[in-house]
Amino acid sequence: MKLKLYADRMSQPVRAVIIFCKKNGIDFEEIRVDIAKRQNLTPEYAEINPMKQLPAIVDGRFKLFESHAILVYLASSFPGVADHWYPADVFKRSKIHSVLDWHHSNLRRGPTTIVRNTVLAPVLGRPLNPEAAAEGEKFLSASLSKIESVWLKGNGRFLLGGNQPSIADLSLVCDIMQLELLGETERNRLLGPYKEVQQWIENTRNATNPHFDEVHKILMKAKEKLQNPRMKGATNEGGGSDMKRTLHSRI
Amino acid sequence: MPDRMSQPSRAVIFFCKVNGIEYEEIKVHIPKGQHLTPEFEAINLMQKLPAIADGRFKLFESHAILIYLACAFPGVADHWYPADVFKRSKIHSVLDWHHSNLRRGAAPYVFNTTIAPILGRPLNPQVAAEAEIILSSSLSKLESFWLKGNGRFLLGGNQPSIADLSLVCELMQLEVLDEKDRTRLLGPHKKVQQWIENTRNATSPHFDEVHRVIMLAKERQQHQRLKAAKNEGGSNMKRPLVSRM
Repeated sequence: MKLKLYADRMSQPVRAVIIFCKKNGIDFEEIRVDIAKRQNLTPEYAEINPMKQLPAIVDGRFKLFESHAILVYLASSFPGVADHWYPADVFKRSKIHSVLDWHHSNLRRGPTTIVRNTVLAPVLGRPLNPEAAAEGEKFLSASLSKIESVWLKGNGRFLLGGNQPSIADLSLVCDIMQLELLGETERNRLLGPYKEVQQWIENTRNATNPHFDEVHKILMKAKEKLQNPRMKGATNEGGGSDMKRTLHSRI
Repeated sequence: MPDRMSQPSRAVIFFCKVNGIEYEEIKVHIPKGQHLTPEFEAINLMQKLPAIADGRFKLFESHAILIYLACAFPGVADHWYPADVFKRSKIHSVLDWHHSNLRRGAAPYVFNTTIAPILGRPLNPQVAAEAEIILSSSLSKLESFWLKGNGRFLLGGNQPSIADLSLVCELMQLEVLDEKDRTRLLGPHKKVQQWIENTRNATSPHFDEVHRVIMLAKERQQHQRLKAAKNEGGSNMKRPLVSRM
């Protein structure tokens, strides 16, 4: 029985898992659960993941949620996954756990908060909240500084001085990619000061293409619609639902 | 390198004691700002506790530390961090969930209702109110999902894992709250209360020993609340607390 992955490619942790599977030749069935349509809140999905979040996997009778746990499970269970993704060496592995743990309370609280309270608010049926977005921006800046000064210290092309990507690179880079939704100007304002971070994102993209670009296609299309002046007018009352429909049909 | 008022520090100390892992406890006193010194920064650039140095190997983030210790030290029983990939994955799942849920609710709630003045910071009722929503929701999820079934511990286990240690240490921080708040929050969740007790029993006498500092802080807080209730102003409150720390 094929691995089932419950996914919405607009979600950063979902993208990390999909890219990992594709890059490592892990066969899976992608089952779309549309967050904007609140499909993650249905009783059917609650059977898969009572926390009602994405991603979740079902491997035979084994169910699992939380993207880091899923990435570790896949790296450990599927043959042919190269060691650099989740090294067997206990010291290297521990450092990866360290950055994955740090991520939850730091970087993860940045891009999502900004995007949900600004450009994506109408799509998600939420009010705009510039104050919350500003809080998210603080987390983002502090986290990007720490990534540059701690996690990208040294000469490696990836986190922790690595010259090959690990699951930590995938998880964090996919999170930062969410900033694409803000449009070029905003994204550049937020990421501009961090040259090493920008290089690292590019390194991760190159190491995982063509899958990286393919998996991020939906995000880039959503970005175009959000930034298109015609659609911007449509983000008011009547247009909100149009955007929802158009976005859904492309996802 | 711990401060025993720090929940994740306690989880690591606890794990070492229960498993007979020898270590040197180097106190880094958060209220005195010792975690912000250049000396500590050389150990952990993030300036947070706990952190370990094992020979030349340095590590921070309590979950990463617990996993490292479980893997690297001989004699650690399998139930703490099972070799079985399915059981292990479920433990990763609850440890990950913890960050954005129980920890994200409990820590700011306790800080902004009780602990902040000890660190010379103001209480923030708005942050406390938001944190309480996350805390309550997390307690419900513990009761209805993570403690589902007949097991004595998380994930239906009959032996504790590192996840039980981490989450119970977080919940023990609620001891310093006003009794009525603690009862209001924990009261509805009988399984959660039983699970805390199960964890305590499974790890005695270390549980009480490691939590002594929290229970002392609780006594001091109760004393201060009684005093404040008798006095009009609260100006006396800060001094005795600081002198005891």
